[in-house]
Amino acid sequence: MSSVLSITLWLPMAAAALLLFFPRTAATAIKGLGLLASVATFVASLGILGGFREGVAGLQLVEAHSWIPQWGITYALGVDGISLWLVLLTTLLTPVVFLASWNTIHKHPKEYVIAFLVMEAAMIGVFLAADLLLFYIFFELTLLPMYLVIGVWGGANRIYAAIKFFLFTIAGSLLMLLGIIYLVFRHAHATGVTTFAIHELYGTPLTAAMQAVLFFAFALAFAIKVPLFPLHTWLPDAHVEAPTGGSIILAGVMLKMGTYGFLRFVLPFFPEATAKYAPLLIALSVIGIVYGALVAWVQPDMKKLVAYSSVSHLGFCVLGIFALNQTAIEGSILQMVNHGLSTGALFLLVGVIYERRHTRMLADYGGIARTMPVYATLFIISMLSSVGLPGLNGFVGEFLILSGSFKTQPKAAIIAATGVILAAIYLLWLVQRVFFGPITNEENRNIPEIAWNEFAAMVPLVVLMVWIGVHPNTFLRKMTPSVEQLLSVVERGREKGEAVLARGEQRAASSEQVAAADVPARRSLPAARPEVRP
Amino acid sequence: MTPLIPLDSDWLTAILPELILCAAGMMLILIDVFVPRARAIIAPLAVIDFLAAFWSELFVDGGTYFSGTYQISNITRLFDIVFLLAAILCALLAADYLDREKLQSGEFYALLMWATVGMMMMAKGLDLLVVILGLELLSICIFILVGFHRRIAVSNEASLKYFLMGAFATGFILYGTALFYGATQSTNFAEMSRWFARGDASNPLLTVAFVLLMAGLGFKLAVAPFHGWAPDVYQGAPSPVAGWLSVAPKAATLIALIRIFGAMTPVLQQASWLKMVAALSILSMIVGNAVAIAQRDLKRMLAYSGIAHVGYMLIALISGGTESVAAIAVYAVTYALMNIGAFGVVSMLAKNQNDPQTLDDIAGLGFRRPFAGAALMVCMFSLAGLPPTAGFIAKFFIFKTAIDAGHTTIAIIGIITSIVSVYYYLRVVYYLYMKEAPAADMVPVGSVFATSALAIAVLGIIFIGVNPTPLFAIAGAAARSLVP
Repeated sequence: MSSVLSITLWLPMAAAALLLFFPRTAATAIKGLGLLASVATFVASLGILGGFREGVAGLQLVEAHSWIPQWGITYALGVDGISLWLVLLTTLLTPVVFLASWNTIHKHPKEYVIAFLVMEAAMIGVFLAADLLLFYIFFELTLLPMYLVIGVWGGANRIYAAIKFFLFTIAGSLLMLLGIIYLVFRHAHATGVTTFAIHELYGTPLTAAMQAVLFFAFALAFAIKVPLFPLHTWLPDAHVEAPTGGSIILAGVMLKMGTYGFLRFVLPFFPEATAKYAPLLIALSVIGIVYGALVAWVQPDMKKLVAYSSVSHLGFCVLGIFALNQTAIEGSILQMVNHGLSTGALFLLVGVIYERRHTRMLADYGGIARTMPVYATLFIISMLSSVGLPGLNGFVGEFLILSGSFKTQPKAAIIAATGVILAAIYLLWLVQRVFFGPITNEENRNIPEIAWNEFAAMVPLVVLMVWIGVHPNTFLRKMTPSVEQLLSVVERGREKGEAVLARGEQRAASSEQVAAADVPARRSLPAARPEVRP
Repeated sequence: MTPLIPLDSDWLTAILPELILCAAGMMLILIDVFVPRARAIIAPLAVIDFLAAFWSELFVDGGTYFSGTYQISNITRLFDIVFLLAAILCALLAADYLDREKLQSGEFYALLMWATVGMMMMAKGLDLLVVILGLELLSICIFILVGFHRRIAVSNEASLKYFLMGAFATGFILYGTALFYGATQSTNFAEMSRWFARGDASNPLLTVAFVLLMAGLGFKLAVAPFHGWAPDVYQGAPSPVAGWLSVAPKAATLIALIRIFGAMTPVLQQASWLKMVAALSILSMIVGNAVAIAQRDLKRMLAYSGIAHVGYMLIALISGGTESVAAIAVYAVTYALMNIGAFGVVSMLAKNQNDPQTLDDIAGLGFRRPFAGAALMVCMFSLAGLPPTAGFIAKFFIFKTAIDAGHTTIAIIGIITSIVSVYYYLRVVYYLYMKEAPAADMVPVGSVFATSALAIAVLGIIFIGVNPTPLFAIAGAAARSLVP
């Protein structure tokens, strides 16, 4: 079972290739194969879970094959505590999408299924890649199918949304590509080995100024993806215009590629710059938390409300990452999964009611808990999970993030906590206006109840919301060693940086007539660089 | 008394591909004249001839021939393959196109073959005069090929424009060569290189010579600001010719430039000539990508995008060294596949040559003609440089070379203009898949020739994108054969 990662990665791609040869009229067979392939992928990913050994910090189930030897690029896959649950989230949400959209995609079903399968493979590749260029290729490959999904199956203003989504993301990631090349170049310069292997690039000697530049090249790409305030403007457009399945995957998985990127690359590659600029990213994430919540509050459109709530919730994830301690980072990873489950569920449910009534305006609804009791129950559970009710998953993640970041960033944690309260306000407000009160609109009297396929799609999400809420340790204990290792890498890098600074200061002091005020200016002196080399 | 050209015993095999193409071209014309009924099989015959030339590359021994003016090595072999690949794709697309336009004839393929011979001379020449001879042979064939649709005004106009501008460009190149000769007492690269090794570029004559040469070759490359002809000529030329014209002559000019720059290596840095080339590169990337946004005609859009792509290749040229030659070679192969592929779809769509082929003409094509639509999409993604296509690998190689050589600024400009270019390439995909097709609009079905050309292009793009190692190995060996 050493190739379980490759099987999980290539299964959806193989199914997509097979589907190319299906006649486009065989819609049921195409959807059936798509569902089958995505369920098989999920089963394969359970194999990853089965093969995953707890207590190991580094990459596991590693596969490495030479790919472009001239540049030291390998086809290397691996999974650790940081990526494990994100891979499973991806393989879980794809069959959910196929189930939920079983009856709603009438236009070009073949291309729809192919797009989602390619997207699934690419997203799995992003989380599994152990080679920087392989990661980048999958990172960009996710864009193409999502562009088509929004543009072909989206709402009225879909073209604008699709192009905006694409251009925002590509602008960030192309600059990151330059950063990648430059990082590898510096590494080759220092060690004489050209390699793109992520773990070998940890600890590449860089001057403070270079770290800062590279930090921003990488952080920009991921901040756009997350999205972090003020780079979030593509997200509401993309979400509102995307079809339900697209929104589920976009919110459920794609946004996490940004937070995952921070954890996997930005923190360990640039520990000094991370320590230096953490306050900036924390400030932006806290602004995002409060701003996203306030804007969500005033949305008249359900889908837009959920979209802005994503900006707010992802702010928590970034806050947890840059709090730079064990509790907060574990909480952040768990919150990525939580957000995938609860926001995925909310988008799915908003899609369900939109299919029936063709409106998402809060004002058009009211009192539908009476006509759709099962639907209302599912919606309220998902909503409470998103709000962070104790006993459901959202509470655990947000609690860990807030308690962890309170240790290092108390002010930010206090402001961020208001985001939790605001979330309760806007989501409860949404539920109250949609589900309770008198039925004011006659059309709401006979909305058909949630269908079997939509219900089936919701079941695993609800089960996991309760599971994580009641027994989060199942999930947390697999992350712990990897997060510890990550933090030690960051810590080492920072100490090394400080040692260099200290030496620089000593030298500055010893070389007489240097005023004390000049010392900080010496911090970025490249003269200190050679000593960083291992 | 020594003969004017000492004939090496194996000179005949050395120029076997050229000989095959010359002879095949004449044969095709004669077949066309004397056996008019055989006209239907002329296109397959031409393709077979190209394949024969391709195959004969295997028998060509490396070495220097004709008194040190003609070199055959891995690099010339690789560029020969690029020229032949471009010609084969063009011939396959033209087979379809010429049938539809009732222009099928032997001359077309003959001209294509002789143009290919001209390019091979440019790639192999070790003397500026040989390069110029090749260039002239190429240019004369291009004049006729561009105007091949003689009943149509735009085609004639394009031919005349290219002829007038091309004549000027040749004049510049010749004048530049004359000045170089005046300064260095030779037109042979090896001797020029020995002269330059003295490291003296203070003679103002040299700068003038270099500027004239760059202006002339820049015209052939269609770099800004010498690009004015390209959109008009591509638009007027038959689409298969436009696709070929946007690729093969540029590759030939680049390999000639690589050799010229190789000879000048010792003085390039100090004489700030590289700064001039860097300026051409930056200007091309900016002008090409910015103006392409405003184009609605697909061929004009591809013309401007081609200007930008030459800008990318020039980045590698100024970086210098073995790696950069390999990068240019990889880019040339990739660019041949993706650009001719894109022009191929445009050529398949043509209801008739008079119609401008605008974005509206491809509305909804992705669902009506799934293969052509998907092929165009793959070409667009590759041109935009998105993984997992060959375009990504090629562009990555270029930027890697630039950063390794310390040209970070120009790499950043390249990346930023790439972001701009994504917009107009994506717009094509938007028209393909997200626009409703106009009702009752007939789309011609491509013949087996055109379809196989597209298949070659698409499979090549994806293969290089997924597994670039073999091409890298070939390009690396080629580059080492040029820069010892």
